[in-house]
Amino acid sequence: MTDATQTAVLAEGVWKIFNEGQLGEVTALQDIDMTVQTGEFVSLIGPSGCGKSTLLRVIADLTEATRGEMTVAGVTPHEARQKQLYGMAFQQAALFEWRTVRRNVELPLELMGWSKDKRRERALELLEMVQLSDFAEHRPWQLSGGMQQRVAIARSLAVDPPLLLMDEPFGALDEMTRERMQNELLRIRRETGKSIVFVTHSIPEAVYLSDRVVVMSPRPGRITDIVPVPLGADRDEDTRESDDFFHAVTAVREALRGRVGGAEARARIGEV
Amino acid sequence: MTDRLRFIWPPILIGVLVLAAWQAIVVVQDIQPYLLPAPSLIAQNFFGDVSLMWGTAIYTATTAFLGLVLGTIVGVIMAFLAQRFIVVNNLITPLAAGLAAVPIIALTPILNNMFSITSRTPRVLVTMIIVFFPMLVNVTRGLVQVQPVQLELMRSMNAKPRTVLRILRVPNAIPFFFTGLKIAAPLSVIAALVAEYFGGPQEGLGSRIASSAANTAYGRAWAYVVAAIITGLVFYLVTIALERWTTPWADRSRSA
Ligand SMILES: Nc1ncnc2c1ncn2[C@@H]1O[C@H](COP(=O)(O)OP(=O)(O)O)[C@@H](O)[C@H]1O
Ligand SMILES: [Mg+2]
Repeated sequence: MTDATQTAVLAEGVWKIFNEGQLGEVTALQDIDMTVQTGEFVSLIGPSGCGKSTLLRVIADLTEATRGEMTVAGVTPHEARQKQLYGMAFQQAALFEWRTVRRNVELPLELMGWSKDKRRERALELLEMVQLSDFAEHRPWQLSGGMQQRVAIARSLAVDPPLLLMDEPFGALDEMTRERMQNELLRIRRETGKSIVFVTHSIPEAVYLSDRVVVMSPRPGRITDIVPVPLGADRDEDTRESDDFFHAVTAVREALRGRVGGAEARARIGEV
Repeated sequence: MTDRLRFIWPPILIGVLVLAAWQAIVVVQDIQPYLLPAPSLIAQNFFGDVSLMWGTAIYTATTAFLGLVLGTIVGVIMAFLAQRFIVVNNLITPLAAGLAAVPIIALTPILNNMFSITSRTPRVLVTMIIVFFPMLVNVTRGLVQVQPVQLELMRSMNAKPRTVLRILRVPNAIPFFFTGLKIAAPLSVIAALVAEYFGGPQEGLGSRIASSAANTAYGRAWAYVVAAIITGLVFYLVTIALERWTTPWADRSRSA
Protein backbone atom coordinates (compact mmCIF):
# COMPACT_ATOMS: atom_id res chain seq x y z
CA MET A 1 0.00 0.00 0.00
CA THR A 2 1.25 3.42 -0.95
CA ASP A 3 0.66 6.26 1.47
CA ALA A 4 -2.36 8.04 0.00
CA THR A 5 -1.41 11.49 1.26
CA GLN A 6 1.86 11.41 -0.71
CA THR A 7 0.12 10.61 -3.95
CA ALA A 8 -1.79 12.85 -6.31
CA VAL A 9 -3.60 9.91 -7.88
CA LEU A 10 -3.80 6.32 -6.72
CA ALA A 11 -5.68 3.68 -8.71
CA GLU A 12 -5.97 0.15 -7.42
CA GLY A 13 -7.65 -2.52 -9.52
CA VAL A 14 -9.87 0.01 -11.34
CA TRP A 15 -12.30 -1.36 -13.92
CA LYS A 16 -14.72 0.55 -16.09
CA ILE A 17 -17.33 -1.45 -17.93
CA PHE A 18 -19.92 0.50 -19.92
CA ASN A 19 -23.41 -1.06 -20.15
CA GLU A 20 -22.38 -3.98 -17.95
CA GLY A 21 -24.53 -7.06 -18.54
CA GLN A 22 -26.31 -5.34 -21.42
CA LEU A 23 -26.09 -5.69 -25.15
CA GLY A 24 -23.46 -3.02 -25.85
CA GLU A 25 -21.11 -4.01 -23.02
CA VAL A 26 -17.67 -2.40 -23.40
CA THR A 27 -14.77 -3.01 -21.05
CA ALA A 28 -12.97 0.33 -21.31
CA LEU A 29 -10.60 -0.13 -18.35
CA GLN A 30 -9.31 -3.43 -17.04
CA ASP A 31 -7.62 -3.75 -13.66
CA ILE A 32 -5.77 -0.42 -13.67
CA ASP A 33 -3.08 0.05 -11.03
CA MET A 34 -1.41 3.43 -11.20
CA THR A 35 0.27 5.93 -8.92
CA VAL A 36 1.00 9.56 -9.63
CA GLN A 37 3.27 11.07 -6.99
CA THR A 38 2.65 14.60 -5.81
CA GLY A 39 4.43 16.97 -8.18
CA GLU A 40 4.91 14.29 -10.82
CA PHE A 41 4.09 14.63 -14.53
CA VAL A 42 2.59 11.41 -15.90
CA SER A 43 1.36 10.91 -19.47
CA LEU A 44 -1.15 8.32 -20.60
CA ILE A 45 -0.46 7.08 -24.10
CA GLY A 46 -2.09 4.44 -26.25
CA PRO A 47 -4.07 3.97 -29.47
CA SER A 48 -7.36 5.80 -29.74
CA GLY A 49 -10.23 4.05 -28.00
CA CYS A 50 -7.96 2.38 -25.45
CA GLY A 51 -9.58 4.15 -22.51
CA LYS A 52 -7.26 7.12 -21.83
CA SER A 53 -10.10 9.61 -21.60
CA THR A 54 -12.15 7.17 -19.57
CA LEU A 55 -9.35 6.81 -17.02
CA LEU A 56 -9.04 10.58 -16.78
CA ARG A 57 -12.81 10.89 -16.40
CA VAL A 58 -12.82 8.36 -13.56
CA ILE A 59 -10.11 10.38 -11.79
CA ALA A 60 -12.20 13.54 -12.31
CA ASP A 61 -15.43 11.92 -11.09
CA LEU A 62 -17.07 12.60 -14.45
CA THR A 63 -17.85 8.90 -14.52
CA GLU A 64 -17.66 6.23 -11.81
CA ALA A 65 -15.35 3.21 -11.73
CA THR A 66 -17.26 -0.07 -12.01
CA ARG A 67 -14.83 -1.76 -9.61
CA GLY A 68 -11.67 -0.86 -7.75
CA GLU A 69 -10.39 2.01 -5.65
CA MET A 70 -9.52 5.46 -6.91
CA THR A 71 -7.99 8.07 -4.63
CA VAL A 72 -7.29 11.67 -5.63
CA ALA A 73 -5.09 13.74 -3.31
CA GLY A 74 -6.00 11.36 -0.49
CA VAL A 75 -9.79 11.54 -0.95
CA THR A 76 -12.42 10.01 -3.22
CA PRO A 77 -12.78 11.48 -6.73
CA HIS A 78 -16.19 12.80 -5.72
CA GLU A 79 -14.78 14.69 -2.77
CA ALA A 80 -11.88 15.90 -4.90
CA ARG A 81 -14.34 17.34 -7.41
CA GLN A 82 -16.44 18.99 -4.72
CA LYS A 83 -13.36 20.52 -3.12
CA GLN A 84 -12.00 21.48 -6.56
CA LEU A 85 -8.71 19.68 -5.95
CA TYR A 86 -8.11 19.39 -9.69
CA GLY A 87 -8.38 21.58 -12.77
CA MET A 88 -9.23 20.18 -16.16
CA ALA A 89 -8.41 20.98 -19.79
CA PHE A 90 -9.69 19.25 -22.91
CA GLN A 91 -8.77 19.00 -26.58
CA GLN A 92 -11.37 21.65 -27.32
CA ALA A 93 -10.71 24.83 -25.38
CA ALA A 94 -14.43 24.86 -24.44
CA LEU A 95 -14.47 28.61 -23.89
CA PHE A 96 -17.80 30.40 -23.54
CA GLU A 97 -17.98 32.74 -26.49
CA TRP A 98 -20.32 35.18 -24.76
CA ARG A 99 -17.68 35.81 -22.12
CA THR A 100 -14.49 37.77 -22.58
CA VAL A 101 -11.18 35.94 -22.17
CA ARG A 102 -10.84 37.30 -18.63
CA ARG A 103 -14.34 36.27 -17.63
CA ASN A 104 -13.71 32.77 -18.99
CA VAL A 105 -10.73 32.46 -16.69
CA GLU A 106 -12.85 33.80 -13.82
CA LEU A 107 -15.52 31.13 -14.31
CA PRO A 108 -14.29 28.55 -11.74
CA LEU A 109 -13.81 31.34 -9.19
CA GLU A 110 -17.29 32.67 -9.88
CA LEU A 111 -18.71 29.21 -9.23
CA MET A 112 -16.82 29.11 -5.92
CA GLY A 113 -18.32 32.44 -4.93
CA TRP A 114 -15.25 34.67 -5.09
CA SER A 115 -15.91 38.42 -5.05
CA LYS A 116 -15.73 40.33 -8.32
CA ASP A 117 -12.54 42.19 -7.48
CA LYS A 118 -10.66 39.13 -6.27
CA ARG A 119 -11.76 37.19 -9.34
CA ARG A 120 -10.54 39.86 -11.63
CA GLU A 121 -7.22 40.19 -9.89
CA ARG A 122 -6.61 36.44 -9.99
CA ALA A 123 -7.65 36.13 -13.64
CA LEU A 124 -5.30 38.92 -14.71
CA GLU A 125 -2.49 37.25 -12.79
CA LEU A 126 -3.16 33.97 -14.62
CA LEU A 127 -3.42 35.67 -18.00
CA GLU A 128 -0.02 37.17 -17.34
CA MET A 129 1.33 33.71 -16.62
CA VAL A 130 0.08 32.41 -19.98
CA GLN A 131 1.25 35.65 -21.64
CA LEU A 132 -2.19 36.83 -22.73
CA SER A 133 -2.50 40.00 -20.65
CA ASP A 134 -3.17 42.05 -23.76
CA PHE A 135 -6.13 39.89 -24.67
CA ALA A 136 -8.05 39.98 -21.38
CA GLU A 137 -11.01 41.87 -22.85
CA HIS A 138 -11.02 40.09 -26.21
CA ARG A 139 -13.61 37.53 -27.20
CA PRO A 140 -12.45 33.89 -27.44
CA TRP A 141 -13.03 33.69 -31.19
CA GLN A 142 -10.64 36.57 -31.77
CA LEU A 143 -7.81 34.32 -30.55
CA SER A 144 -5.85 31.63 -32.40
CA GLY A 145 -6.27 27.97 -31.42
CA GLY A 146 -3.06 28.00 -29.38
CA MET A 147 -4.07 31.16 -27.54
CA GLN A 148 -7.51 29.71 -26.79
CA GLN A 149 -5.86 26.64 -25.33
CA ARG A 150 -3.68 28.88 -23.13
CA VAL A 151 -6.86 30.53 -21.85
CA ALA A 152 -8.25 27.07 -21.06
CA ILE A 153 -5.07 26.23 -19.15
CA ALA A 154 -5.25 29.49 -17.23
CA ARG A 155 -8.86 28.64 -16.36
CA SER A 156 -7.85 25.15 -15.15
CA LEU A 157 -5.31 26.80 -12.84
CA ALA A 158 -7.73 29.42 -11.50
CA VAL A 159 -8.59 27.86 -8.15
CA ASP A 160 -4.94 26.82 -7.73
CA PRO A 161 -5.69 23.08 -7.56
CA PRO A 162 -2.79 20.71 -6.74
CA LEU A 163 -3.63 18.48 -9.72
CA LEU A 164 -4.14 19.15 -13.43
CA LEU A 165 -5.98 16.68 -15.67
CA MET A 166 -5.38 17.31 -19.37
CA ASP A 167 -7.02 15.33 -22.17
CA GLU A 168 -5.05 15.87 -25.39
CA PRO A 169 -5.03 19.63 -24.85
CA PHE A 170 -2.66 20.22 -27.78
CA GLY A 171 -4.21 17.57 -30.02
CA ALA A 172 -5.81 20.06 -32.41
CA LEU A 173 -2.79 22.37 -32.77
CA ASP A 174 -0.20 22.46 -35.54
CA GLU A 175 3.24 21.06 -34.80
CA MET A 176 4.99 24.42 -34.23
CA THR A 177 2.33 25.77 -31.91
CA ARG A 178 2.22 22.44 -30.17
CA GLU A 179 5.93 22.46 -29.32
CA ARG A 180 5.69 26.03 -28.09
CA MET A 181 2.75 25.06 -25.90
CA GLN A 182 4.71 22.12 -24.50
CA ASN A 183 7.47 24.50 -23.43
CA GLU A 184 4.87 26.80 -21.87
CA LEU A 185 3.35 23.90 -19.95
CA LEU A 186 6.74 22.83 -18.62
CA ARG A 187 7.42 26.40 -17.52
CA ILE A 188 4.03 26.65 -15.79
CA ARG A 189 4.69 23.34 -14.12
CA ARG A 190 8.07 24.56 -12.84
CA GLU A 191 6.45 27.76 -11.56
CA THR A 192 3.49 26.08 -9.86
CA GLY A 193 4.71 22.58 -8.91
CA LYS A 194 1.43 20.97 -9.96
CA SER A 195 0.93 17.24 -10.35
CA ILE A 196 -0.18 16.59 -13.91
CA VAL A 197 -1.91 13.69 -15.66
CA PHE A 198 -1.66 14.29 -19.39
CA VAL A 199 -3.38 12.26 -22.10
CA THR A 200 -1.77 12.24 -25.54
CA HIS A 201 -1.22 10.00 -28.52
CA SER A 202 2.00 11.68 -29.54
CA ILE A 203 5.08 9.76 -28.40
CA PRO A 204 7.54 12.71 -28.56
CA GLU A 205 5.06 14.88 -26.66
CA ALA A 206 4.66 12.29 -23.90
CA VAL A 207 8.43 11.86 -23.60
CA TYR A 208 9.25 15.56 -23.70
CA LEU A 209 6.77 16.45 -20.95
CA SER A 210 6.70 13.49 -18.58
CA ASP A 211 8.55 11.97 -15.69
CA ARG A 212 6.86 8.68 -16.52
CA VAL A 213 4.84 7.49 -19.51
CA VAL A 214 2.00 5.06 -18.85
CA VAL A 215 1.48 2.88 -21.91
CA MET A 216 -1.98 1.42 -22.48
CA SER A 217 -3.10 -1.39 -24.77
CA PRO A 218 -6.08 -1.34 -27.13
CA ARG A 219 -9.42 -2.51 -25.80
CA PRO A 220 -9.86 -3.63 -23.15
CA GLY A 221 -7.66 -0.81 -21.86
CA ARG A 222 -4.90 -2.16 -19.67
CA ILE A 223 -1.63 -0.68 -18.55
CA THR A 224 0.99 -2.70 -20.37
CA ASP A 225 4.04 -0.75 -19.36
CA ILE A 226 5.27 2.28 -17.46
CA VAL A 227 8.32 3.91 -19.04
CA PRO A 228 10.40 6.30 -16.92
CA VAL A 229 11.87 9.32 -18.71
CA PRO A 230 15.22 10.26 -17.15
CA LEU A 231 15.61 13.62 -18.84
CA GLY A 232 15.78 15.67 -15.66
CA ALA A 233 13.73 18.69 -14.71
CA ASP A 234 15.24 21.29 -17.04
CA ARG A 235 14.15 20.53 -20.56
CA ASP A 236 14.36 22.82 -23.56
CA GLU A 237 14.51 22.68 -27.35
CA ASP A 238 17.94 20.99 -27.19
CA THR A 239 16.45 18.16 -25.17
CA ARG A 240 14.38 17.17 -28.20
CA GLU A 241 17.57 16.49 -30.14
CA SER A 242 19.47 14.65 -27.42
CA ASP A 243 20.28 10.93 -27.47
CA ASP A 244 18.47 10.39 -24.18
CA PHE A 245 15.30 11.83 -25.72
CA PHE A 246 15.65 9.60 -28.75
CA HIS A 247 16.18 6.53 -26.60
CA ALA A 248 13.16 7.31 -24.44
CA VAL A 249 11.04 7.78 -27.56
CA THR A 250 12.21 4.39 -28.80
CA ALA A 251 11.43 2.79 -25.46
CA VAL A 252 7.86 4.12 -25.52
CA ARG A 253 7.45 3.10 -29.14
CA GLU A 254 8.58 -0.43 -28.39
CA ALA A 255 6.29 -0.61 -25.40
CA LEU A 256 3.39 0.50 -27.61
CA ARG A 257 4.27 -2.22 -30.11
CA GLY A 258 3.86 -4.71 -27.31
CA ARG A 259 7.51 -5.61 -26.80
CA VAL A 260 7.26 -6.38 -23.13
CA GLY A 261 9.43 -3.97 -21.26
CA GLY A 262 11.15 -2.76 -24.41
CA ALA A 263 14.19 -4.14 -22.61
CA GLU A 264 16.86 -3.16 -25.08
CA ALA A 265 15.81 0.45 -25.43
CA ARG A 266 15.39 0.70 -21.70
CA ALA A 267 18.88 -0.49 -21.08
CA ARG A 268 19.96 2.45 -23.21
CA ILE A 269 18.06 5.00 -21.17
CA GLY A 270 19.90 3.56 -18.20
CA GLU A 271 17.07 1.85 -16.38
CA VAL A 272 17.43 -1.95 -15.90
CA MET B 1 -19.79 54.22 -44.14
CA THR B 2 -18.87 53.82 -47.81
CA ASP B 3 -19.12 50.08 -47.18
CA ARG B 4 -22.65 50.46 -45.99
CA LEU B 5 -23.56 52.63 -48.98
CA ARG B 6 -22.22 49.98 -51.32
CA PHE B 7 -24.64 47.52 -49.72
CA ILE B 8 -27.61 49.86 -49.80
CA TRP B 9 -27.35 51.22 -53.35
CA PRO B 10 -27.80 48.09 -55.48
CA PRO B 11 -31.19 47.05 -53.99
CA ILE B 12 -32.47 50.65 -54.22
CA LEU B 13 -31.37 50.89 -57.83
CA ILE B 14 -33.00 47.59 -58.70
CA GLY B 15 -36.17 48.65 -56.87
CA VAL B 16 -36.38 51.89 -58.84
CA LEU B 17 -35.78 50.09 -62.12
CA VAL B 18 -38.47 47.52 -61.38
CA LEU B 19 -40.97 50.26 -60.45
CA ALA B 20 -40.16 52.17 -63.64
CA ALA B 21 -40.60 49.04 -65.77
CA TRP B 22 -43.84 48.22 -63.96
CA GLN B 23 -45.18 51.74 -64.58
CA ALA B 24 -44.14 51.61 -68.24
CA ILE B 25 -45.78 48.22 -68.85
CA VAL B 26 -49.06 49.26 -67.20
CA VAL B 27 -49.22 52.49 -69.22
CA VAL B 28 -48.07 51.09 -72.57
CA GLN B 29 -50.16 47.91 -72.41
CA ASP B 30 -53.11 49.79 -70.86
CA ILE B 31 -53.53 47.16 -68.11
CA GLN B 32 -56.68 47.55 -65.99
CA PRO B 33 -56.22 48.38 -62.27
CA TYR B 34 -58.08 45.24 -61.10
CA LEU B 35 -55.36 43.19 -62.81
CA LEU B 36 -52.39 45.35 -61.88
CA PRO B 37 -52.58 48.99 -60.77
CA ALA B 38 -49.70 51.29 -61.74
CA PRO B 39 -47.19 52.25 -59.04
CA SER B 40 -48.27 55.85 -59.48
CA LEU B 41 -51.86 54.93 -58.58
CA ILE B 42 -50.74 52.99 -55.52
CA ALA B 43 -48.51 55.89 -54.43
CA GLN B 44 -51.37 58.32 -54.93
CA ASN B 45 -53.58 56.25 -52.61
CA PHE B 46 -50.82 55.66 -50.10
CA PHE B 47 -49.74 59.30 -49.77
CA GLY B 48 -53.29 60.58 -50.33
CA ASP B 49 -54.19 59.68 -46.74
CA VAL B 50 -51.03 58.82 -44.87
CA SER B 51 -52.69 59.23 -41.47
CA LEU B 52 -55.33 56.64 -42.44
CA MET B 53 -52.57 54.27 -43.59
CA TRP B 54 -50.72 54.87 -40.33
CA GLY B 55 -53.77 54.30 -38.13
CA THR B 56 -54.75 51.14 -39.99
CA ALA B 57 -51.23 49.75 -39.82
CA ILE B 58 -51.01 50.58 -36.11
CA TYR B 59 -54.13 48.50 -35.40
CA THR B 60 -52.66 45.42 -37.09
CA ALA B 61 -49.20 46.06 -35.65
CA THR B 62 -50.71 46.22 -32.15
CA THR B 63 -52.42 42.85 -32.65
CA ALA B 64 -49.19 41.41 -34.03
CA PHE B 65 -47.11 42.84 -31.20
CA LEU B 66 -49.42 41.52 -28.46
CA GLY B 67 -49.50 38.09 -30.09
CA LEU B 68 -45.73 38.16 -30.56
CA VAL B 69 -45.02 39.04 -26.93
CA LEU B 70 -47.49 36.53 -25.49
CA GLY B 71 -46.48 33.74 -27.89
CA THR B 72 -42.82 34.37 -27.12
CA ILE B 73 -43.41 34.28 -23.37
CA VAL B 74 -45.36 31.03 -23.56
CA GLY B 75 -42.87 29.50 -26.01
CA VAL B 76 -39.88 30.38 -23.83
CA ILE B 77 -41.55 29.05 -20.66
CA MET B 78 -42.44 25.81 -22.42
CA ALA B 79 -38.85 25.53 -23.72
CA PHE B 80 -37.49 25.77 -20.17
CA LEU B 81 -39.92 23.08 -19.03
CA ALA B 82 -39.04 20.90 -22.02
CA GLN B 83 -35.35 21.26 -21.20
CA ARG B 84 -35.89 20.45 -17.53
CA PHE B 85 -38.35 17.58 -17.75
CA ILE B 86 -38.04 14.93 -20.41
CA VAL B 87 -41.69 14.00 -19.76
CA VAL B 88 -42.78 17.52 -20.64
CA ASN B 89 -40.53 17.47 -23.68
CA ASN B 90 -42.07 14.22 -24.91
CA LEU B 91 -45.50 15.71 -24.35
CA ILE B 92 -44.90 19.16 -25.82
CA THR B 93 -42.94 18.29 -28.95
CA PRO B 94 -45.65 16.21 -30.68
CA LEU B 95 -48.30 18.63 -29.41
CA ALA B 96 -46.44 21.63 -30.76
CA ALA B 97 -45.78 19.85 -34.05
CA GLY B 98 -49.47 18.97 -34.26
CA LEU B 99 -50.43 22.57 -33.58
CA ALA B 100 -48.03 23.73 -36.30
CA ALA B 101 -49.71 21.44 -38.81
CA VAL B 102 -53.21 22.80 -38.06
CA PRO B 103 -54.12 25.85 -40.15
CA ILE B 104 -54.64 27.90 -36.99
CA ILE B 105 -55.93 30.89 -38.91
CA ALA B 106 -58.92 28.77 -39.94
CA LEU B 107 -59.94 28.73 -36.29
CA THR B 108 -60.47 32.48 -36.28
CA PRO B 109 -64.21 32.42 -37.12
CA ILE B 110 -64.78 29.93 -34.29
CA LEU B 111 -62.78 32.04 -31.85
CA ASN B 112 -64.66 35.11 -33.06
CA ASN B 113 -67.87 33.51 -31.82
CA MET B 114 -66.40 33.09 -28.36
CA PHE B 115 -65.65 36.78 -27.90
CA SER B 116 -67.56 40.00 -28.50
CA ILE B 117 -67.81 41.23 -32.10
CA THR B 118 -65.54 44.22 -31.42
CA SER B 119 -62.89 42.21 -29.64
CA ARG B 120 -59.29 42.03 -30.79
CA THR B 121 -58.69 38.97 -28.58
CA PRO B 122 -59.35 36.20 -31.17
CA ARG B 123 -56.77 37.76 -33.50
CA VAL B 124 -54.21 38.08 -30.73
CA LEU B 125 -54.82 34.45 -29.74
CA VAL B 126 -54.31 33.23 -33.31
CA THR B 127 -51.12 35.26 -33.66
CA MET B 128 -49.88 33.99 -30.32
CA ILE B 129 -50.38 30.33 -31.27
CA ILE B 130 -48.54 30.88 -34.54
CA VAL B 131 -45.64 32.67 -32.85
CA PHE B 132 -45.40 30.09 -30.09
CA PHE B 133 -44.13 27.27 -32.29
CA PRO B 134 -40.93 28.72 -33.79
CA MET B 135 -40.05 30.20 -30.39
CA LEU B 136 -40.51 26.89 -28.55
CA VAL B 137 -38.53 24.89 -31.10
CA ASN B 138 -35.60 27.29 -31.32
CA VAL B 139 -35.25 28.13 -27.63
CA THR B 140 -35.45 24.44 -26.67
CA ARG B 141 -32.73 23.71 -29.17
CA GLY B 142 -30.56 26.46 -27.72
CA LEU B 143 -31.01 25.21 -24.15
CA VAL B 144 -30.30 21.60 -25.07
CA GLN B 145 -27.62 21.88 -27.73
CA VAL B 146 -24.63 22.85 -25.64
CA GLN B 147 -21.24 21.33 -26.43
CA PRO B 148 -20.78 18.09 -24.45
CA VAL B 149 -17.29 19.26 -23.52
CA GLN B 150 -18.76 22.42 -21.98
CA LEU B 151 -21.08 20.28 -19.87
CA GLU B 152 -18.13 18.14 -18.75
CA LEU B 153 -16.25 21.28 -17.86
CA MET B 154 -19.15 22.59 -15.78
CA ARG B 155 -19.40 19.25 -14.02
CA SER B 156 -15.66 19.18 -13.36
CA MET B 157 -16.11 22.58 -11.71
CA ASN B 158 -18.82 21.06 -9.51
CA ALA B 159 -21.66 23.13 -10.99
CA LYS B 160 -25.24 22.20 -10.01
CA PRO B 161 -27.88 21.85 -12.77
CA ARG B 162 -29.33 25.26 -11.89
CA THR B 163 -25.92 26.84 -12.26
CA VAL B 164 -25.40 25.07 -15.58
CA LEU B 165 -28.72 26.52 -16.73
CA ARG B 166 -27.77 30.05 -15.74
CA ILE B 167 -24.11 30.05 -16.76
CA LEU B 168 -24.21 27.85 -19.85
CA ARG B 169 -27.64 26.96 -21.23
CA VAL B 170 -29.37 30.34 -21.12
CA PRO B 171 -26.53 32.34 -22.75
CA ASN B 172 -26.15 29.53 -25.28
CA ALA B 173 -29.86 29.82 -26.13
CA ILE B 174 -29.89 33.57 -26.80
CA PRO B 175 -28.75 33.39 -30.45
CA PHE B 176 -31.32 30.60 -30.96
CA PHE B 177 -33.97 32.83 -29.36
CA PHE B 178 -33.25 35.46 -31.98
CA THR B 179 -33.29 32.91 -34.78
CA GLY B 180 -36.82 32.09 -33.60
CA LEU B 181 -37.77 35.73 -33.21
CA LYS B 182 -36.57 36.60 -36.71
CA ILE B 183 -39.03 34.02 -38.04
CA ALA B 184 -41.79 34.84 -35.55
CA ALA B 185 -41.79 38.67 -35.84
CA PRO B 186 -42.71 38.98 -39.56
CA LEU B 187 -44.94 35.93 -39.15
CA SER B 188 -46.89 37.70 -36.40
CA VAL B 189 -47.74 40.54 -38.80
CA ILE B 190 -48.93 38.08 -41.44
CA ALA B 191 -50.99 36.17 -38.86
CA ALA B 192 -52.60 39.33 -37.43
CA LEU B 193 -53.42 40.56 -40.92
CA VAL B 194 -54.83 37.32 -42.28
CA ALA B 195 -56.88 36.77 -39.10
CA GLU B 196 -58.72 40.00 -40.00
CA TYR B 197 -60.06 38.35 -43.18
CA PHE B 198 -62.24 36.05 -41.06
CA GLY B 199 -64.73 38.51 -39.57
CA GLY B 200 -64.52 40.53 -36.40
CA PRO B 201 -64.02 44.33 -36.19
CA GLN B 202 -63.56 46.08 -39.56
CA GLU B 203 -60.22 47.49 -38.54
CA GLY B 204 -56.68 46.82 -39.58
CA LEU B 205 -54.83 46.22 -42.85
CA GLY B 206 -56.41 42.82 -43.56
CA SER B 207 -59.97 44.09 -43.21
CA ARG B 208 -59.22 47.15 -45.33
CA ILE B 209 -57.47 45.23 -48.09
CA ALA B 210 -60.50 42.94 -48.30
CA SER B 211 -63.07 45.76 -48.26
CA SER B 212 -61.14 47.97 -50.72
CA ALA B 213 -60.85 45.08 -53.17
CA ALA B 214 -64.56 44.33 -52.76
CA ASN B 215 -65.32 48.00 -53.56
CA THR B 216 -63.11 47.88 -56.68
CA ALA B 217 -60.73 50.41 -55.06
CA TYR B 218 -57.70 48.47 -56.30
CA GLY B 219 -55.23 51.29 -55.90
CA ARG B 220 -56.26 51.64 -52.29
CA ALA B 221 -56.12 47.88 -51.66
CA TRP B 222 -52.57 47.85 -52.96
CA ALA B 223 -51.65 50.85 -50.87
CA TYR B 224 -52.67 48.84 -47.79
CA VAL B 225 -50.56 45.95 -49.06
CA VAL B 226 -47.61 48.34 -49.21
CA ALA B 227 -48.35 49.41 -45.63
CA ALA B 228 -48.44 45.74 -44.61
CA ILE B 229 -45.06 45.11 -46.23
CA ILE B 230 -43.60 48.10 -44.40
CA THR B 231 -45.06 46.89 -41.10
CA GLY B 232 -43.55 43.41 -41.53
CA LEU B 233 -40.22 44.94 -42.47
CA VAL B 234 -40.25 47.17 -39.37
CA PHE B 235 -40.91 44.15 -37.14
CA TYR B 236 -38.02 42.30 -38.75
CA LEU B 237 -35.58 45.20 -38.59
CA VAL B 238 -36.39 45.93 -34.94
CA THR B 239 -35.67 42.27 -34.17
CA ILE B 240 -32.32 42.46 -35.92
CA ALA B 241 -31.41 45.66 -34.09
CA LEU B 242 -32.34 44.01 -30.79
CA GLU B 243 -30.21 41.01 -31.67
CA ARG B 244 -27.13 43.07 -32.45
CA TRP B 245 -27.55 45.01 -29.28
CA THR B 246 -27.92 42.01 -26.96
CA THR B 247 -25.54 39.47 -28.52
CA PRO B 248 -22.39 41.33 -29.48
CA TRP B 249 -20.39 38.06 -29.26
CA ALA B 250 -22.22 36.76 -32.32
CA ASP B 251 -20.52 39.50 -34.37
CA ARG B 252 -18.16 36.90 -35.76
CA SER B 253 -20.82 35.14 -37.77
CA ARG B 254 -22.21 38.45 -39.00
CA SER B 255 -18.94 39.99 -40.14
CA ALA B 256 -17.92 36.74 -41.83
N1 LIG C 1 -20.32 6.61 -22.40
C1 LIG C 1 -19.84 5.52 -23.04
N2 LIG C 1 -20.66 4.47 -23.30
C2 LIG C 1 -20.18 3.37 -23.92
N3 LIG C 1 -18.91 3.21 -24.32
C3 LIG C 1 -18.06 4.20 -24.10
C4 LIG C 1 -18.46 5.41 -23.44
N4 LIG C 1 -17.40 6.24 -23.34
C5 LIG C 1 -16.36 5.58 -23.91
N5 LIG C 1 -16.76 4.37 -24.36
C6 LIG C 1 -15.90 3.36 -25.02
O1 LIG C 1 -14.80 3.11 -24.17
C7 LIG C 1 -13.62 2.95 -24.94
C8 LIG C 1 -12.56 3.91 -24.47
O2 LIG C 1 -12.92 5.23 -24.85
P1 LIG C 1 -12.00 6.48 -24.52
O3 LIG C 1 -11.66 6.47 -23.09
O4 LIG C 1 -12.69 7.69 -25.03
O5 LIG C 1 -10.71 6.20 -25.42
P2 LIG C 1 -9.46 7.14 -25.74
O6 LIG C 1 -9.60 8.40 -24.98
O7 LIG C 1 -8.26 6.34 -25.34
O8 LIG C 1 -9.48 7.34 -27.21
C9 LIG C 1 -14.00 3.14 -26.38
O9 LIG C 1 -14.17 1.88 -26.97
C10 LIG C 1 -15.31 3.87 -26.32
O10 LIG C 1 -16.13 3.53 -27.41
MG1 LIG D 1 -9.84 10.40 -25.71
